[in-house]
Parts: sequence; structure tokens; C-alpha cells
Amino acid sequence: MTLNGSGTSGGTATLSGTAPAGAPNGEKPLLEVRNLVQEFPIRNAGGVKGGMLQAVSDVSFTLHAGESLGVVGETGSGKSTLARSIIQAPSPKSGEVIFDGINLVGLQRRQMERLRRHMQMVFQDPYGSLDPKWKVSDIVAEPLVAYGLGSRSQRKARVAELLELVGLDPEVHGDRRPGQLSGGQAQRVAIARAIALNPQLVICDEPVSSLDVLVQAQVLNLFEKLRQELGLAYLFIAHDLALVKQVSDRVVVMYLGKFCEIGPSDSLYTEPLHPYTLALLKSVPDPDPEIGRVQSEDVISGELPSPLDPPSGCRFRTRCPLAQARCAEEVPELRELRKDHFVACHFPLPGNDDRDLTAVGSTVAPDEASA
Amino acid sequence: MAALLSETETTSSAQGAPVLAEVPSPRGRGWVHSLDIYIPGGFLLAMLFICFVWPYLYKIPPPVGGNILTAGLPVGSPGHILGTTVVGNDIMSRLIYGGRTSFEIIFAVQGIGLVVGGTIGVTAAMLRGFTETIMMRILDVIIAFPAIILVVVIVLGLGASEGTLIWALSVVGIPIFARVSRAGAVTVREQTYIVAAELSGSKRWRIALRHVVPNIMTSLLTFAVLGAGVVVIIEATVSFFGYGIPLPGPSWGNMIATGAQTMSTRPSLLLIPSIVLLATVIALNMLGEAMRRRWGTVR
Repeated sequence: MTLNGSGTSGGTATLSGTAPAGAPNGEKPLLEVRNLVQEFPIRNAGGVKGGMLQAVSDVSFTLHAGESLGVVGETGSGKSTLARSIIQAPSPKSGEVIFDGINLVGLQRRQMERLRRHMQMVFQDPYGSLDPKWKVSDIVAEPLVAYGLGSRSQRKARVAELLELVGLDPEVHGDRRPGQLSGGQAQRVAIARAIALNPQLVICDEPVSSLDVLVQAQVLNLFEKLRQELGLAYLFIAHDLALVKQVSDRVVVMYLGKFCEIGPSDSLYTEPLHPYTLALLKSVPDPDPEIGRVQSEDVISGELPSPLDPPSGCRFRTRCPLAQARCAEEVPELRELRKDHFVACHFPLPGNDDRDLTAVGSTVAPDEASA
Repeated sequence: MAALLSETETTSSAQGAPVLAEVPSPRGRGWVHSLDIYIPGGFLLAMLFICFVWPYLYKIPPPVGGNILTAGLPVGSPGHILGTTVVGNDIMSRLIYGGRTSFEIIFAVQGIGLVVGGTIGVTAAMLRGFTETIMMRILDVIIAFPAIILVVVIVLGLGASEGTLIWALSVVGIPIFARVSRAGAVTVREQTYIVAAELSGSKRWRIALRHVVPNIMTSLLTFAVLGAGVVVIIEATVSFFGYGIPLPGPSWGNMIATGAQTMSTRPSLLLIPSIVLLATVIALNMLGEAMRRRWGTVR
């Protein structure tokens, strides 16, 4: 409600207009991830090996300059690990992360430092990502100092400019410490730091999850504004589909380290192909009390299986209402069922069928539904 | 609505801050709630004043070279307010100069421990991996030695003096400081703001100096104050056994040692330095505890 009501009507219109962005139109992608795998060995008491935690299993996608890709999934689905793997902190177990034509995996530390300049990150906990001992102006200036950009007075001017860009007053907030800021202000400081070096890609790891709903809307508006003004590409991680919709051209749905579905946000929101996506869409509460109850029979039950020992075949089958014998035997590959819209499911949902999407209908404009 | 939304947050909190400042803190206001720092802190400042400044303001008898004619005076004798020792030295003066020695040793040992141990600990934490393990294991070997025996052995090897004692105590203190600062640095290095600093392009040594050190400094200082009590006790103990400050040089430890010999006839010779030592150690511990409560954990 707030998200839609907060009226990025301008933003939404632009998004719809550029909806097919990310189409393989021959243009070289800014970021290309190929078969990325990230695993962590688990050690039990006494250092005994306790198996491999398969955080991200063989995912591939591309992201074009200026494009925004939303990544959605529940806690433990590997979204944040994916983000960390892309910035090589830590480097993935296998696969390639090609940024601007250069494979980051296995790159020398110094080369990596040079490239990181074009790739910044905004974290979930704004307070945790700001050093509590530092002043706001020093925090925002840190990347400028680290890369030796500008003189002291030039940096000061740039910091003031950045703070104003994210909606803070350099006079008022510049001398404060993170503990003296509200959550929204702290996240704005983190955003100012992230864009200080004019990066091409900003990875946002649940940047609004820890903020209250009103502030969420404001910070999302800020992200949208910065994207339009600075031409940033976002990898925008969230566990809430409704939230991602506003800032994403395309959306990826992740489950237990694998992609379920990836497609343009209009198409994915109106005609989800994967049962898990549908379940996520249905779990978005609607503010209208008449229709707003999340129907319990449609909501998937159970817990996320352990990533130490993921289910065979399709990883979602243990909770999937449509699961059949084939799902346990064969791993579903991503297939392009509609233009740019891929799904990894043996029995994808028929698009535009009689399934009741009214629960999320309010977030979908009628004209988009027929697209 | 959008315009309204995007304005609210910044403006409201810009005005909000001064309003918040007027609300009395939940701890209550004023000095009453800081007494846990003021009382031991004040006592220690008074001790420092008496030991380091007082002798220059008022003429006090020398701590050594006392006259045998004024030996063994009781407490409250004119000119010798706490009496004199069996060789005629003024007890008050020996307490003051002995305290001076003790405080000099505290500052030197904890200072060396903080700088050297802190550097080793933070370096180990920042290097990570195999290097870190090796560094910490070497320090563990030193920590495994009983502190007093280690100090006595070093003093015996180098000859007893205040300087030797400082180095010997530092050998004991440095590994402990290194371990505490490494533990703190390990916690800090896992914080998101360290990842953010790396992403911002800051070099590792810069992150260590500008992010890690400031964030472990309060807990290290707290640890230094808490450890100061232990330093005083070890110093007094080795002096008591005759391996510390050599007689006739004044030290609380050797005053207690010589006082113990005349415990039955002149108990004040034992009691007075013991009480002063006890009070100082308690004050250091109280101050350290109060700092720990205030500034978080010492790990």
C-alpha cells in the first residue's frame, strides 16, 4: 500500500517503458555471472568436517548497464551469498563473474581493488555498515580518500554534494556519528558512500529490510531517483516481492541456492510460471480487509530444507503443491517459456489461467496484465 | 503523498535531535551516577598527586639514609608522622617514594603492553590464517609460564633494578595484551563496516589503524586499568621475595617484606604499606570495573 501509494508514479511509468531491458540485444552486459557456485565447509565440534553448505548452486545471469535486477527469496536462499560472491568477498568456489569484460574470479588483489571502485554495495543493517567511531562526513569521504581523489577541500565539497543528493543536510548531519542518526538517515549515509566513486553497479543487500515501512518507501524512492540521475545498475536483494517490484526491471526468484524463475517484472508479477513465485506473490498481504486475508490453503507450509543436504531433483519439490515423481529425479533447468522469461520447473503454471491473483492484483495495472 | 513522505524523515529528525537532548537520560542526570568512576578515580589521582607532586611542595624526610638515633619511632612522632623504620628511615617518605616507583612501573608496563601487545594482536588479527595462528601460539607459550617465576628469572638474569623489573613485567604483560587486543580485533574485523571499508578501497593497514584500533581502544584501556592492580601485586610480590626493587630503595613490596620480620613487635611496619597497597589495588579494580560496565566488554 505504502509502496504503491508512495507514488513513484513517474518511476513506475519509466519502468514499464523500459520493461524489456536486459534482453539479449547484442549489447555487452555490465555484469555476467556464469555457473556461479558458492559452498562453505561446515565444521562440527573439534573441527570434524560436517559436510558442505551449498549456499549458491550453479546460477547464471546477466545485468546490463543502468538496469535493475531484483533478487527475491526467503531467508537462507543464498541471496546475500550471491551478492558477496559477486564482489569477491569471499570469492566463489567456481564459476565466472565477468564485470565489464573482466573475470573477477581469481583476480589479483590489486586488480580487484581497482575494479571494486565501479562496484559498490549497500548493506542490510545501516548501523552495522557504518563505523560507530567515525563522523558521517568522514564515512562518506572514505572511498575518496582511499582512492586519493581530489584535494581536501574538493573532497569536502564532494561530500556535501553527496549528502545533499541523498537528502541529508551536510551542516546538520555531517558532524554526527552513526549512533546519532535514525535508521533511514544512516542508510542514506551508506548510500552516499556507495555512490561516492560514481560506480556502475550498486549491489543492495536488503537495504530497506531493517527500516520501518514509511522510511522504506522514502529510501526506495531515493534509490529510484539515483538510478535515473546517475544511470546506476542495481542488483537489488530483498525477501519481499512487493518491495522489489518498484525498483526492478527484471526479477529473479531464488530458492535454496538456485534460480526458480527470472523474467521481466511485469511478466513475472502478472503471470508467474513457478509455483514458488506464485506462493510468494500470494503471501504479500493486501491492505484491503475484505480481500486482504492471505488464504491459508495457498500458502506453502513447512521449513526451508537444509542447504547441507538439499532435496534431489527440484529443490522446491518438498514443499511444492504440484510436485510429482519426476521432480525428485530430474533437476529442472531454466527454460525460456516467454520472451526473456525463464523458469526452472517441470510443470510450470499456465500463465494467465484462472488462478486467483487478486491478492496482488492491486499492485498490477490492468493494462499490464494483458501484455 | 510522495512529496510529503520524502520530506518527513529528514526534517522531523533534524528538529528531533535538540528535543531529545533536553530529555534527561534514563540513568538520571548528574554526578551521582558517575560515582563508581569518581571515587576510585579520585583516590588514584590523590595518590598520584601525593607521590609525584607532594614531595616538591613540602619538605619531607628522605626515604633512605635515615639516622640510627631516630630509629624505631612509633606512629605519630613529631616530624615522622607514621614513625620510622628499624634503621631510622621515615615511613611516610618511604611510602610516597615507594608509591612513585609502583606507579612508574604501572605506567611503563601497561604502556609498553598496550603499544607492543596491541600492535602484535591487531597485526595477527588482520593477517588472519596461518600467520595469525603461529603468532598466537608463540604468545601462548609465554603466557603458559607462571608470571612470578618468569619475572624472577629475568630479574636474576639481568640484575635487580627498577628498569629490569619493568622489562620483566612487560614480558609477562605483552602477550596478554596481544591476546586481548587480537580477540577484540577479531570481533571488529567481522563487522560489516570493515567489509564496507574494503569495498571503499581502504588498504588493510589503514583499516587496522582507522577502524580496528579505535573500536578496541576503550576495552583495551579498561583492560590496562584492571591489569594495573595485578602489576602492582606482582611487583610487590617479587620485591617481597627480594628480587624486585633492591634495598634500601623504597618499594611497597620490600617495605612489607622487612615489616614482616618485626610483625610481633612493630605491626605498623607491616600494616601501613599493606593497607596502602590494598587500597590502591582495590581502587584500580573498582575503576576498571566501572569502565568495563560503561564501555562494554573486555574479552
